[in-house]
Amino acid sequence: MGNYFSSMFDRLWGANRELRILILGLDGAGKTTILYRLQIGEVVTTKPTIGFNVETLNYKNLKLNVWDLGGQTSIRPYWRCYYADTAAVIFVVDSTDRDRMATAAKELHLMLQEEELQDAALLVFANKQDQPGALSASDVSKELNLVELKDRSWSIVASSAIRGEGITEGLDWLIDVIKEEQM
Amino acid sequence: MSAQTYKKFESAGSSDLPDKMTIYQDCMNTFNESPVSAKRCRLLISRLLRLLSSGETFPQTEATALFFSISKLFQHQNDSLRQVVYLAIKELSGISEDVLMATSSIMKDVQNGSDIVKPNAIRALTYVLDESTAFSAERLLKNAVVSKNQSVSSAALCTAYNLLPISEVTIKRFSNEAQEAIMEVKTAPMSARSEFVSKAPHITQYHALGLVYELKRNDKMALMKLIQQCSDGFVLKNQFARMELMKIVNDLIHRDTQLFAQFQQLFNVWLQDRSSLVSLETAKTITTFAIAHPRLVSPDLFATTVNVLRKLMNEFNCGAKLGAVKVVNKMAMVSPEKVAVCNPELESLLSMSNKELATFAITTLLKTSNEDNISNLIGRITEFVHKVSDDFKITVIEAIRTLSLKFPKEWKVIIKFLIDVLKNSEGAAKFKSSVVEAIIDIVAFVPQSKELALESLCDFIEDCEYNEVLVRVLHLLGKEGPSTSNPSLYVRHIFNRVVLENSIIRSAAVIALSKFALTKNDPTLKDSIVSLLNRISNDTDDEVRDRATISLKLLGSEHSFAKDLVQSKYYYDLNSLESKLTTYISTNEDSFKTPFDVSQIRKFSEDEMKAIELKHKQDRVFKSTDNDESGNRDAIAPATVSTNKRKDNDTYKGADLHEHEQDLLESKYADELSGMEEFKEFGKLINSSKVTPLTESEAEFVVRAVKHVFKDNIVLQFNITNTLVDVALDNVSVVCSAEDPENSRLEELFTLPIERLAPAGESACYVAFKKSTDTVMKGFLNTLHFTTRELNPDTHEPFEDDEGFQDEYEIDSLFLNAGDYIKSSFVGNFEATFDQLPNEEVAVYNIQEDLSLQEVIDKLVLNTSCLPLSNTQFAPTDSSSHVLKLFGKSALMGTKVALVIKMIKSSKGVALKAQCRTEDATLCADIVNNLM
Repeated sequence: MGNYFSSMFDRLWGANRELRILILGLDGAGKTTILYRLQIGEVVTTKPTIGFNVETLNYKNLKLNVWDLGGQTSIRPYWRCYYADTAAVIFVVDSTDRDRMATAAKELHLMLQEEELQDAALLVFANKQDQPGALSASDVSKELNLVELKDRSWSIVASSAIRGEGITEGLDWLIDVIKEEQM
Repeated sequence: MSAQTYKKFESAGSSDLPDKMTIYQDCMNTFNESPVSAKRCRLLISRLLRLLSSGETFPQTEATALFFSISKLFQHQNDSLRQVVYLAIKELSGISEDVLMATSSIMKDVQNGSDIVKPNAIRALTYVLDESTAFSAERLLKNAVVSKNQSVSSAALCTAYNLLPISEVTIKRFSNEAQEAIMEVKTAPMSARSEFVSKAPHITQYHALGLVYELKRNDKMALMKLIQQCSDGFVLKNQFARMELMKIVNDLIHRDTQLFAQFQQLFNVWLQDRSSLVSLETAKTITTFAIAHPRLVSPDLFATTVNVLRKLMNEFNCGAKLGAVKVVNKMAMVSPEKVAVCNPELESLLSMSNKELATFAITTLLKTSNEDNISNLIGRITEFVHKVSDDFKITVIEAIRTLSLKFPKEWKVIIKFLIDVLKNSEGAAKFKSSVVEAIIDIVAFVPQSKELALESLCDFIEDCEYNEVLVRVLHLLGKEGPSTSNPSLYVRHIFNRVVLENSIIRSAAVIALSKFALTKNDPTLKDSIVSLLNRISNDTDDEVRDRATISLKLLGSEHSFAKDLVQSKYYYDLNSLESKLTTYISTNEDSFKTPFDVSQIRKFSEDEMKAIELKHKQDRVFKSTDNDESGNRDAIAPATVSTNKRKDNDTYKGADLHEHEQDLLESKYADELSGMEEFKEFGKLINSSKVTPLTESEAEFVVRAVKHVFKDNIVLQFNITNTLVDVALDNVSVVCSAEDPENSRLEELFTLPIERLAPAGESACYVAFKKSTDTVMKGFLNTLHFTTRELNPDTHEPFEDDEGFQDEYEIDSLFLNAGDYIKSSFVGNFEATFDQLPNEEVAVYNIQEDLSLQEVIDKLVLNTSCLPLSNTQFAPTDSSSHVLKLFGKSALMGTKVALVIKMIKSSKGVALKAQCRTEDATLCADIVNNLM
């Protein structure tokens, strides 16, 4: 009987459901580092991701299914194969890479136009804040034209995956939004 | 619905194959679900795999969609699900695009996965990596190669092996690790459950050896060292590894025959190896080598080998038996007397319940048999053949057919056997037609057998249910019947068909009948045939009526060519006829107002045709041995099917096509030549030689020559291939100077140079001569003259200011010899023909070079371009003397040429005595004096 109640409870709060979250962004932005920072809490040495990494992690009683897709030009076209049923997108930007801000903005807006991602929340990490010459979160927001986004919950958080700054804050916000919208 | 499609529906198991689209939909739905249900996914993938393995395939877009949805299953950590995911990735990688998307996930498993999935992940890497990504997997793979875990290590070795053609640079760096893996003893992962214990201990040694061989295959010294290390004591614990090492030895001794002696010790030990696999491979290596270089194998070793083979045939294991029979069979192809001692073992195999083995034993026995025991053997086969299925029957019949070419004197026994099988054995059309084909062969090449064979066939067609077979027999009766002593006998049988059978057979019978009207042996027959044909022209079927009417018309005609139409004396060269007709139809110059010109097509007389056929058949006997060998070499390393495909895609079918291509090439050259304005006035092309290479095949410029003979002219065609990159050759010509210019009976007319030969281009340069006598023998010293022009790599045009650079290039000399004036031809009774020919010349040669009899024979056949008869083109291995019988016809006059060449091999060389008889006096001396 107790089991029955707890499973009903779980269902209500969605603890048994998995949430699909995609981590996207240009190559070398720090997506894989963020993924493993989230999963094992450590900085791992990474190689350019050919394809994707996927990890399941428990965060605040929720089961998150986090997909980190490679950011190289050759792999970007395949992002769309993984859009279905996505609750949220984490878009990672290398804040020191001023030259490719425009490219990042283009890829971001292109992706958000996809039908399958209309209901997905967007969290942008302005990553690599530990590096000298990094743009601030608001500057990155300007460069990416985030204000133009309508009908979507979004937020930008300054982060450093190496130092572990900003990551949990960002994720907390994301979880709150998802809970609010979907449950 | 034909019988075959009907059967396909019936085939076992096809009905319970799951529906393709249902599976596809289920897969797409289930794999994209969240959370993933491991059990359901596993089941679905296994059904998908079943579909794929039974030959079903998906269109590329669907396969790609499937691949992506399967890649999503990486989110689930279940090991057994992961294993099937890898299987699916491997299967789909061939038909899906973008498989590289799985790379990172697979590499993660290689690094951190459990011991169960690690090997699977490593093997799957083969299918997703390309040249650039292979580099990033290098560390991972190397770590896996040196792993203590046997399954991981051998998976990594296999992957490295398969990646070699994809990323040679990366894999080249693996040689140290691979070499260590050969020596190191690895253990299988221990598991509580016993079924996980590896059934093949130390298999890494086999895989590592394969990889090391691939990496070092061009380094003879390294391979020698490898063999030395591995053959020492008990280094190689795995039987496959020992077998593999033997294959490497095999490769080495074929590259350098002198090495054979060094391995003597190894051969002796491994022939007695406890694993039948290894002793079989060793025996195979020794026998193949003995076939090619009989003198280098000591009789002792050979005798031991044959004993080992006999022992293997007595083993319990069917595989070992089959392997041994195959080796013996190959030996029997070239020197049957050497393996005749195996006959008792072979005979005991006849009674095996395994029909495959029994059939192989029979075909081998047929080869080792001699004229004394052949009839006894055929008796045994007759019992056997009635008991086995059609496929085996056909194999046996094929063997008998070759036998008939080998022992023409035994035709009576063979024909009796064939007729018996034909009449008394159950079998489908394919089998019956193979029997009939065998009989047709015998009739064609053993004229004495004609009447008996035809009479038996007449009986057979009285009760035959297969149209195809009946039509062939009727054609044969029409072709051969009129020249028998009692043609009217066949007329009755043929006419019975007209009365009793369906329209297809009736039409064939009409044609056969009409040929009898022209018979010389029974002049009264013509009137009877005409009245029969008159009756048939009221037949109910159009085709039958038409054929009867036209036959009557032709028979009544006064013209002689009408008779030729009824009974054709010439056969067209089908290759050139086909290509000419294709061009005729595709060009369609004036909407077919000009009729197709048949006179351009080469024609063969019946004897020439038979010569060509016989040659093909003899070649085929030899080819089948060669094919086996090349097959061995492909399999020399532990290649999976997929790498074989990757590497050998282009070359794989080469062997079968070669013969046909050679024919096509010849008729193509002849066509090109007769189409050129410059050669119009030379008249008709009389003969073209085989293509002779004048350079090494890997030279800068590859030159091959063809000699064309006209009535009063000679044209030498030089086909030149430019293998240089970025250099074009301008104004390429070949300067041919006769060896002794003073008494040359040839006068050079003109040279047609090649204007420009682009890189990788092939073109022909022609040199034309006028000859003052009919047959001129001459050697030519040849030099290539040309101007090199460097090419601009962007435009592929020469640089403007580049004047070019005059250059010469020496190529081998070319000999115009008697053989170029001879076409090979067939004659049924060589001895009688030889005795009848009026002119005789005799010449004696003494060849100092160290050539084997077989090499001498091959050279003689090539030089004279005559047809070897009575199976004399094979040198006996047990005796030092041989008699070669050659027959041909002069290409110019059509006169007969017959040669009997006696040869004896001694320690000083080979002595030849050539006796040549011809109809035409001039040719006779030329031939005997230009044999070698």
